[in-house]
Amino acid sequence: MKRVIQTLAVLAAVAALAGAAVVLGGLYNVSARAGHWPGVPFVLHTTYEQSVDLRAPSEAEVPDLKAPGMVALGAKHFDESCRMCHAAPGLERWAIPQVMVPEPPHITRAVAGWTAAELHWIVDEGVKMSGMPHWPAARIDDVWPVVAFLRQVEEMSATDYADLTRQPARPEGAPDALPYCATCHGITGRSDNPQIPRLDIQDRDYLEQALRAYADGSRDSGIMHVAATRVPRAQLADLAAWFADQPVDTAPAAPVLDEGLAEDGAVLARAGTTEIPACVACHGPGVARKDETFPRLAGQSQIYLAQQLRLWRDGVRGDGRQSDLMVKAAEDLTDDDIAALAAWYASLPAEAR
Amino acid sequence: MLPDHATRSRMSGAGKIGLAALTLTGCGGPQSVLNTAGSDARVLLTMLSVMLVGLVIIWILVNGMMLFFNQLQTGAHEERYARYLIVGGGIFFPTLVITALLVWGLSIMPDQRAPGDGLRVEVTGEQWWWRIAYWPEGAETPVIAANEIRLPVGQRVEFDLKSARVIHSFWIPALGGKMDMFPGRDTRLSLEPTEVGIFRGQCAEFCGASHALMAFHVVTMEPADFDAWLAAQAAPAMAPDGDLARRGAAIFAEQGCGACHAVRGSDASGQVGPDLTHVGSRLSLGAGILAPTLANYMAWIDHTGDIKPEVEMPAYDHLGDDELTALATYLMGLK
Repeated sequence: MKRVIQTLAVLAAVAALAGAAVVLGGLYNVSARAGHWPGVPFVLHTTYEQSVDLRAPSEAEVPDLKAPGMVALGAKHFDESCRMCHAAPGLERWAIPQVMVPEPPHITRAVAGWTAAELHWIVDEGVKMSGMPHWPAARIDDVWPVVAFLRQVEEMSATDYADLTRQPARPEGAPDALPYCATCHGITGRSDNPQIPRLDIQDRDYLEQALRAYADGSRDSGIMHVAATRVPRAQLADLAAWFADQPVDTAPAAPVLDEGLAEDGAVLARAGTTEIPACVACHGPGVARKDETFPRLAGQSQIYLAQQLRLWRDGVRGDGRQSDLMVKAAEDLTDDDIAALAAWYASLPAEAR
Repeated sequence: MLPDHATRSRMSGAGKIGLAALTLTGCGGPQSVLNTAGSDARVLLTMLSVMLVGLVIIWILVNGMMLFFNQLQTGAHEERYARYLIVGGGIFFPTLVITALLVWGLSIMPDQRAPGDGLRVEVTGEQWWWRIAYWPEGAETPVIAANEIRLPVGQRVEFDLKSARVIHSFWIPALGGKMDMFPGRDTRLSLEPTEVGIFRGQCAEFCGASHALMAFHVVTMEPADFDAWLAAQAAPAMAPDGDLARRGAAIFAEQGCGACHAVRGSDASGQVGPDLTHVGSRLSLGAGILAPTLANYMAWIDHTGDIKPEVEMPAYDHLGDDELTALATYLMGLK
């Protein structure tokens, strides 16, 4: 017995020395050109697939991926952040991803065999030692538009993809980065995509504060963190000014889908309760003066309003010098309150600044 | 280093004197059961006094007997004599005294549910302040106030006690006993102030981080003065007077203070926090904890949570000193 233990100890010491020699002596060749030994890619890929399979959320957590605007928003973010490695419908991969180890597959092949929940996990978590990064934010609900796009990408035509991701032309006098922002928000800040908030109704101070918060990560969003760090910091103020200077489209928004719900929202927003402050005191409509870092809500996208209110209520939305005010204001909102408030504000015509 | 025995005993002697002095200061002042200003509190004080005197007499009697039988007459006692003493002193005497005290106590104990003379005051315990609504007899809408209660002397007033979230207890020691406040269940209390003065009430049930900072002033007034005061409270807020106050009113609107606070007569109609229509007329700020000075108003708005831990009101520390001064001036002018 003693001999066995001695033998094992000696073997362990030799193994440790050999390991140290490989690591410290640089014996392992990390060259991507050299590639892996036979069999290793199979082991690694199987590990990856099984790991995703084990950890992906349940399919019950998948929201409605066919909701209006989801695919378009996901396509735009994909075009900015993912296309460089995975190419896109109608495009071949360029040279660099083709010499990566492992090689990122063309997106139309990469999604094959994965469910929506599994795709969400992969985009959210990334894949270690593969070059696939994780979602650049703690908040992961805005991964879903990308998943919505990925579910469509196999059948998407090159023309459709190009239409979804086209940058508009830069108007005379606009900041250089404007076409990039306008891909989603439109040149005037009024996007026709209900997933994307309109900016034409906001004041300059609010927009600049939001952009800076997105850039430094204090306001959490994977999509906007990418966007706000992609444009030069020096242009953030100019972009805020551009959108704030646009004429507000005050025409009444789309017809209200549920009048009872909007009515409940009106009562709550105007009068508040003993637990919930009256929204209109800070956000309008109808306030003569307000702090210019408070956003206006009349005419804003219903989907965006509901999503932001949930983030505030759940205590995961930071941003700005007064974010504490909104954390306290939203902490007692119920899901019904949020639906009612979003329905009412979205039903209002925007106010002229 | 630990003090040696002699030092320790000297210190504990000094401590006893200090404690006694500290206790005696509780006899007077605006928040004391011994400094009564209402008929209910007076009855309680009478009961307390009778019990205290009786207790002292009985204590002396018991100790006197102990001394007598242990030290002075230590021999065996005659059995009949001992039996009388045990049955008489151990059963008959306490039964008699306790029964008498109970009958007398019950006969004079204030009826906390006695009907009032007309005025009803609804008090709701919040985290950590008091929402107050006056319902004069026959009124259809109440007069809303907060964190201060004014009462006419010589009238019995009914209190409807409610609570928003947790259990509180409503207590004005100078006027009477305390009554718990429960979420989802109303309790009642009636009090009759008899003397004009300024007193203090306090939450008497632990209700969270700032329980100790949940107090209020009670001002008892001649009925005519009270009626005039209530009429003034029912009126909308005064217009801001002077440039600074007007600037403060603008900042109040701009910062959305009206989302939580009502200032009747302006757009501000929030219900989350205290009604501020006449906040400048109150004797304290922050529910009985700060004197209503300009510096305190500014400090309260600037770092609310440092003054009252876990308070619902967020700190407006993004405002500059000049803005805080204007805001404080406006609020103090809301007489």
